[in-house]
Amino acid sequence: MKLKHTSIPMVLLLFLFHSGPLRAQANEGSAFDQSKFVPDIAFILDVSGVARDMNDQKYTSLSIPGFSYPFLNPPSPSGLNAHRGMNFNYGEMSLYSVVDPYFDLFAVLGLAPDGAGLEEAYFSTRKLPYGFKVKAGRFLASFGRVNEQHEHYWDFANRPLIATALFGEEGLKETGVQATWVAPTSYFFVFGAEVLNGENGQSFGTSGFTAHAGNVSIAPVQGPNLYIGFIRSSVDIGDASILFGLSNAMGKTRNDQGFTTPGGTAAAIDANTNIIDGEMTVKYSLDAIRFISFQGEYMRRATDGTEYAYDAFNALSEPSLDKHHSGLYAQVLAKIDEVWEIGARYDLLLQNDVSMNSVDQRMPSDLPRYSAMIEYNPTEFSRFRLQFDRDESLFMPASGGWLRQPYTQVLLQANLTIGAHGAHAF
Amino acid sequence: MKVWKFIPLLMMCVQSVLPGQLQVVSTYGYIGDIVSRIGKERVEVVTLARGDYNPHVIIPKPSYIAKLRRADLLIINGGQLEIGWLPQIIRQANNGAVQPGGRGFLDLSMHVHLIDVPTGVSRELGDVHPEGNPHFFLDPDNIPAIANAVTARLVELDSDNQAYYEANNKELYALWQQKMKGWEAKLKPFKGEKIVEYHRIFDYFLHRFGFTIVGTIEPLPGIPATTKHIADVEKLIGQEHVKFIFQDVYNPQDASEYIAKRLNVKLLILPHDVGAVKEADNVFSVFDEIVRRLTNV
Repeated sequence: MKLKHTSIPMVLLLFLFHSGPLRAQANEGSAFDQSKFVPDIAFILDVSGVARDMNDQKYTSLSIPGFSYPFLNPPSPSGLNAHRGMNFNYGEMSLYSVVDPYFDLFAVLGLAPDGAGLEEAYFSTRKLPYGFKVKAGRFLASFGRVNEQHEHYWDFANRPLIATALFGEEGLKETGVQATWVAPTSYFFVFGAEVLNGENGQSFGTSGFTAHAGNVSIAPVQGPNLYIGFIRSSVDIGDASILFGLSNAMGKTRNDQGFTTPGGTAAAIDANTNIIDGEMTVKYSLDAIRFISFQGEYMRRATDGTEYAYDAFNALSEPSLDKHHSGLYAQVLAKIDEVWEIGARYDLLLQNDVSMNSVDQRMPSDLPRYSAMIEYNPTEFSRFRLQFDRDESLFMPASGGWLRQPYTQVLLQANLTIGAHGAHAF
Repeated sequence: MKVWKFIPLLMMCVQSVLPGQLQVVSTYGYIGDIVSRIGKERVEVVTLARGDYNPHVIIPKPSYIAKLRRADLLIINGGQLEIGWLPQIIRQANNGAVQPGGRGFLDLSMHVHLIDVPTGVSRELGDVHPEGNPHFFLDPDNIPAIANAVTARLVELDSDNQAYYEANNKELYALWQQKMKGWEAKLKPFKGEKIVEYHRIFDYFLHRFGFTIVGTIEPLPGIPATTKHIADVEKLIGQEHVKFIFQDVYNPQDASEYIAKRLNVKLLILPHDVGAVKEADNVFSVFDEIVRRLTNV
């Protein structure tokens, strides 16, 4: 067994003087051994190989127009599987342990070659009465179905399109507090509320800004900025389990994309945003091994406020801004034997209405993406997934509007886990 | 008035839905059956997993959360058999009473002696259970130990009914000993018989009745059979004069069927839990059915 550093001199002394039973002394050397209290640790590695009929420079410069707040400068696709060839997607370390009889603590560290970051860290109560639980810290918001799932739980190599379009590559991950209540009924009902900082720049944001011309001064949001409520329920019909839910998120969208900088051309926004989400999952067991599942989610976002920008003559313009976005995804999976699983997903961004001073900005709508995948799981600790995507949701700016840039990609993803055995959620 | 006569009856009806009844959730069917034999009408038992499904990989349905939410006591098999599906459900149930470590949580593996404890643990060896083989229910000698643990916990949570639970436990013990004699007599001729298993799920049963386990059809725990390994097993069956293959109901049977047909050995599909096959609807009939299928050759 391992000797603690402190016990080594003692063991040497015993060798020198031959006094007393060595074994007993060595065991006492571990009197303050804490190794039994090491939390459950798991490490997940995700790498992929990507073949895409578009070069990286072009791919990373494309965007979904209209969806991000200053629609002139939307984010580009980045993150997972971003490059042709090999991608190191992430190394993720998760820690879990009971703190004491009253609390659990979870932490997820995202590790990359150029640094590490705390993805999530939160504690939750274990023993609140009457079906209540409170958690606090930094966590993935329980908004809809897919947002709360970690990357390695996804059924496809990428997040559904509508989720990325509304919340970005990292999802809606926020600092705050969540309270849930599970009803003492024979059917499953959970009600939840979250109070969060609302810093997600894709849909919300807390930063204030001041114009270098004119007298605009919008204060930063202080205190909580994002409020989420959700309800989920479930019924079993024979061997089928159906889970459905509704979520609502509301908060301020206060963002500055270089507007404050003198001579800056980018805009800033001060608005209120409301997002609703409807989700449904059906899982039907064919036998002890095989199942078929359906998962679908619909999200709709409304943003209402004012945009601040400079016109060609460097004069301040303050058009009222009204944005309506919606989208959905629907996916079907089939586990066909102990190791093989197949799936198909249809993503669609439906509505893309942006109007300034009630003038429609003519953003492209009905943007689809088609995906299919086949997964090989030698054990539950290793997974290889071959995925095909046809994406028609990305555009590049062109004179007088936007030019659609469809691409096709095939990717092979490897995802492996060591350490603690993760329990699977439904 | 005759109406008075109905009052006790009415009281009984109300009682059956009042929270006076201890609410117990069990993970597997055999646990639920033992609990209902000891708790009888003073306890309401709900079992989560289907008996004919793979106990290692149960789909964690949201309805399980609702069941756990209302439970006073959760009884699990333990030995990491539920690790892939239960922890998440416990956390989501928001029920402080059934959190691991509390009085409302009973891990049966702590009350029996586990065999096949690996000396070294590595996932190179497949889906190993570091605490030992968790399928201890299939040693009939473990049933009284399990029943004692259940009784003690019911008494702890509901001491008013101590005498009732203990009497029921005694009754179960007597009945069990009686049945044991019958199974022992029927299985005596099989002592020393060499067998092959698909998964190491019947080890406790086989050890108890003196069978010798020569090998398994899955190359490693939880890893599906491969052509190469099947060839090795076939060689082993020939060398060791194996006559039986023991297989559970949930794993694919094609590899076992293939071997059985080629080498003329008997493939026995046996219940591993209550509800695994139609005939095995309680703890007694699980063993009755194993013995019946084995001796009906």
